[in-house]
Amino acid sequence: MVRVMAEDAFEAVVGAHHAEIRRYLLRITARGSDADDLSQETFLRAFRAYRALPPGSNVRAWLFTIATNLGRNHFRAQGRRRRAYAAAALEMRPDAPDRTDGQVLADEARERLERVIRGLPAKQRLAFIMRKMHELEYSEIGASLSCSEESARAHVFQALRKVRRSLDGHLPIGMESRA
Amino acid sequence: MSPLPSVCRAIEPELLSVASGEAGPAAAGRVEVHVAACRFCREELAHYRALEGMMGTLRRAPLPDDDATLARAHLASRLADLRSRMVGFGVFPWPFGRILIGRSEQGVALVQYLPTGGSLPADVRRLLGEDAVEDRAATEGLRAELMEYLEGRRARLDWPLDLRRMRSDFQRRVLEATAALPYGAVASYAGIAARIGTPSAVRPVAQALRWNPLAIVIPCHRVIGTSGALVGYAGRRVELKQRLLAVEGVKMVGGRHDFKVDREAMYTTVTGEDEYCVPTCGSLLSQSLSTLTLFGTREGAEAAGLAPCTSCRPDLHPLPA
Repeated sequence: MVRVMAEDAFEAVVGAHHAEIRRYLLRITARGSDADDLSQETFLRAFRAYRALPPGSNVRAWLFTIATNLGRNHFRAQGRRRRAYAAAALEMRPDAPDRTDGQVLADEARERLERVIRGLPAKQRLAFIMRKMHELEYSEIGASLSCSEESARAHVFQALRKVRRSLDGHLPIGMESRA
Repeated sequence: MSPLPSVCRAIEPELLSVASGEAGPAAAGRVEVHVAACRFCREELAHYRALEGMMGTLRRAPLPDDDATLARAHLASRLADLRSRMVGFGVFPWPFGRILIGRSEQGVALVQYLPTGGSLPADVRRLLGEDAVEDRAATEGLRAELMEYLEGRRARLDWPLDLRRMRSDFQRRVLEATAALPYGAVASYAGIAARIGTPSAVRPVAQALRWNPLAIVIPCHRVIGTSGALVGYAGRRVELKQRLLAVEGVKMVGGRHDFKVDREAMYTTVTGEDEYCVPTCGSLLSQSLSTLTLFGTREGAEAAGLAPCTSCRPDLHPLPA
């Protein structure tokens, strides 16, 4: 029956994308419990709308759009509290034992990078994470943020410039091959 | 810091594209020529490339709290709950307006008459719930069976039902008693009230039937006034009630807006007894309809498990067809 087929297909959607969508939400909220709640809400909304999704749609990009909208609503609701949590989450990260000097430097630079990303304005941060962490196309990022592909690219580039400036003196020139 | 020369500012977007690995060959060529001559931009390119390298590391690095197992299990249980509540519905043309048919995972949940045009009425939207989705394909087969029923080509709708949209326990009892009325039989509102043990609750019974979420399937059209008048049906759709009853073989007299079940042309049983009679048997014609169930045909009465009365012998002296 049509219904059953649609539901089986949705199981496959959950299987294919839930972990990544949760990871995206974890990156933008910095809290496991928020990522849990928002990823569940993303897939519940997607389930309600799945039947109306035209065949051949880009399901992954569509899920990112739903997750992004939920994330932005969440930020608006949380306001300053979110930033406090994000800072606390970073501070609570345990140091990995037995790191070499090189690793320590690389880890410090990475932590600084994460902190800089968290300090970006919302649209730039979301665009940057979607592009650089999840490798979405600019058109997909534009759809998620309700803006054009060019605006999405501009958000990512502005974020890149800010991140680059914030990391002045901390960029491991010549270390990228070790990544 | 002195401002960048305009040529460096102009090439910066392409420089970022090159560092990100997104630049086309023409842009890459321009950047290559520029950085060969500009030390500042050469260093910038190196910085951006280093940044890309760091981001690659960050992308591949394990995240703290990156265990989706629990969230996935919660999601599965919430999806199962949502599925069981969710109604897929279709709206179809129907004699005297439109009909909405909704089904959930448990079974058919809604059969509602709608006006010819316009959006869904508020009470229907409330019955559908916020998780309803239009799904004509899943309900088209039900519509076809209902149409066969209306045309007299089908006497049974063997559908699994989702009865979770009852307004109250009282309504549930009223609709259960109504669902027990066999094909081709009629009883009165007072009769239904008596069957559920609240003989004075005639108006509440009528109200409960008015909000029947499963029209036709729970045959509220088989419930009539104690005078035999059809009274009302789904607002002002008494002609549809007449049509449904006529299809089931119920004999009626009158016309257009004042149809009445013709008691003298109906086989009759005292509710709860196991025999059926011709209407002239004993004092049946003078008894209130609240204690009786009427059948349009002998076949209908016998299909309901009733035997012919041994006094009036409707099997030997049937009513004129």
